[in-house]
Amino acid sequence: MASIHMQKLVKKYGDLTVIPGIDLQIADHEFVVLVGPSGCGKSTLLRVLAGLETIDGGDLFIGDRKVNTVPPSQRDIAMVFQDYALYPHMTVRQNMAFALEMRGMAGDEIATRVQQAAKLLDIDPYLDRRPKALSGGQRQRVAMGRAIVRDPQVFLFDEPLSNLDAKLRAQVRTEIKALSQTLRTTMVFVTHDQIEAMTMADRIVVMKSGVIQQVGTPEEVYETPANQFVASFIGSPSMNFMPVTVEGERLALSDGHTLPGTADLARRVPEKGSATLGVRPEHLAVVPKDEASLMANVELVEPLGSDTLIHFTVAGTKAIARVEPDRRPRPGDVVPLAPVPGKAHLFETASGAIIH
Amino acid sequence: MSSLANRPSDRLIAVLDVVLLVAAGIAVLAPVAWMVLSSFKQSYEVTAYPPTIFFQPTLDNYRSLSQTTPFLQFGINSLIVTIGSTALGMLLGAPAAFVVSWTRITWPAIVTLVARMAPGTLFLLPWYVMFRQFDMIGTYSALILTHAVITMPIVIWVLLPFFDNIPRSVFEAAQVDGCNPVRIFWRIALPLVVSGLAVSAILAFVFSWNYFLFALVLSNSDTKTLIAASFNFIGEGSTNWGGLMAAATLIALPPLALSFVVQRWLISGLTLGAVKG
Ligand SMILES: Nc1ncnc2c1ncn2[C@@H]1O[C@H](COP(=O)(O)OP(=O)(O)OP(=O)(O)O)[C@@H](O)[C@H]1O
Ligand SMILES: [Mg+2]
Repeated sequence: MASIHMQKLVKKYGDLTVIPGIDLQIADHEFVVLVGPSGCGKSTLLRVLAGLETIDGGDLFIGDRKVNTVPPSQRDIAMVFQDYALYPHMTVRQNMAFALEMRGMAGDEIATRVQQAAKLLDIDPYLDRRPKALSGGQRQRVAMGRAIVRDPQVFLFDEPLSNLDAKLRAQVRTEIKALSQTLRTTMVFVTHDQIEAMTMADRIVVMKSGVIQQVGTPEEVYETPANQFVASFIGSPSMNFMPVTVEGERLALSDGHTLPGTADLARRVPEKGSATLGVRPEHLAVVPKDEASLMANVELVEPLGSDTLIHFTVAGTKAIARVEPDRRPRPGDVVPLAPVPGKAHLFETASGAIIH
Repeated sequence: MSSLANRPSDRLIAVLDVVLLVAAGIAVLAPVAWMVLSSFKQSYEVTAYPPTIFFQPTLDNYRSLSQTTPFLQFGINSLIVTIGSTALGMLLGAPAAFVVSWTRITWPAIVTLVARMAPGTLFLLPWYVMFRQFDMIGTYSALILTHAVITMPIVIWVLLPFFDNIPRSVFEAAQVDGCNPVRIFWRIALPLVVSGLAVSAILAFVFSWNYFLFALVLSNSDTKTLIAASFNFIGEGSTNWGGLMAAATLIALPPLALSFVVQRWLISGLTLGAVKG
């Protein structure tokens, strides 16, 4: 168990700078989730932590130890690879036992640990099969198992749940979360999945093009996103964005329609008078007609069971509202909506930075 | 309908395949058949023209071979040199191939290939002088060492694509699991290329077994290999064709037998299919 400390960490592939310089402190026992679009350098960062990639600048500490040049085998980390990387010539059991064997653990201790992990991940029926004879999801669980049988300083997970079906994913997700609470091992977890990030993380790190956009608890990145990118990346469906200008005391959409009750927001808009308004679908409430700031012309309705998504276009931009499940407007209906007070955000038009 | 329309041409291709295979088979096997048949003929019959197809088979050639020459001893010499040099080639070549594949530094492999392709005569004089210095002329060690120049490049170049074919993340997982490179080689890489090992061992064996130049110069009458010894049958005046063919047949047997035994591995190995999955 150990903290991780990155100081101006740089990673390049030849001329391509994938990570231009990351500063990040991960506390002991912390569960950190890295999110970001494909190709933003999540796997690369994980591989740097594991020691599989050399560092082109800055320092990396695991615990108190500077590990810039320490080989992976001596970093005492466990990693689940995006492509599983199981040993094809070994059975599931051997795959899971391998790392323990390398550490000279006694045979019966190995057997117990493998059995426990197999039970947890629901792979005990396959223990004597080769990876070739497993489905994608089963392989992924073996890869998970190979990591959790160990008792490492740090766990690194590279999208370990991406190939599981929804039910199993939810199950393994809770199990990893529970595991992290019992093991109290530092975990760095890469995912594309919103829900995984929000449910498991102590802190979320949002990345874009190798640069950290925001680090914060799930609540922080959700409630107070640092910029428009984070706001759009966290939350599903994504936050609605509309370009606005200041008209007198209020915000106005690009079609000239002014939004009642936006005096507070309007005061924050800097001199030039234009900004981007951001409202999450769940923060658009259906209100009586005379209180509405938006009259949504319903184009598409998606009943999700727990709630209903209404797709509409406002001032030329597509938007979504999440409303109560029993409300079932039809395409063509007009629904009066208003942002929940205090839940709308303003972003600078050019930089996308949030305006407080 | 289109699939029906295609059928005659499909059939033509199938027939053509068979014809070509048979032609290739004849081209490859005819000399072998000739060799084997001739070894059972009387010497005068061997060079008869037109060649006799039906003849009274005789074991005379084999009998005289064992009576007039220490054939068994030569065979043992050959085995010692071949097995020794194959083992040495594997011992050096397999780790070398792994390192070349791992580091992507290819020049050492190229150097061995160049050494392999250079005419053997190039090495002969320096080696002769060198082994004289060490008083090793006529020793098995000298022959095994020199034959490793044949076997090692084969092993390296056969194994290289096998190692390249293993997903890199498998090695990385092993690193993370606590393996140093030596352990990765033993526990992960080697077990994943067994069919490659088989192929390279067989090819190394065959090439070393059939290589005569070094043995011609560096062996003595006690350590002469079969293939070098068989040159004695090509006399200045007359050549004992029957004897030569009997010897050749016997010489060809071990590589053939070996290939048959590991046929399945050889095929899957040559097509690289065994590593996947
Ligand atoms: N070995 C490499 N050589 C050169 N460029 C690389 C290499 N590995 C990754 N890259 C590049 O580095 C960038 C980051 O890749 P990385 O795999 O870290 O992305 P990622 O965030 O994990 O994406 P994904 O979510 O799709 O897995 C990409 O632009 C990729 O093309
Ligand atoms: Mg990735």
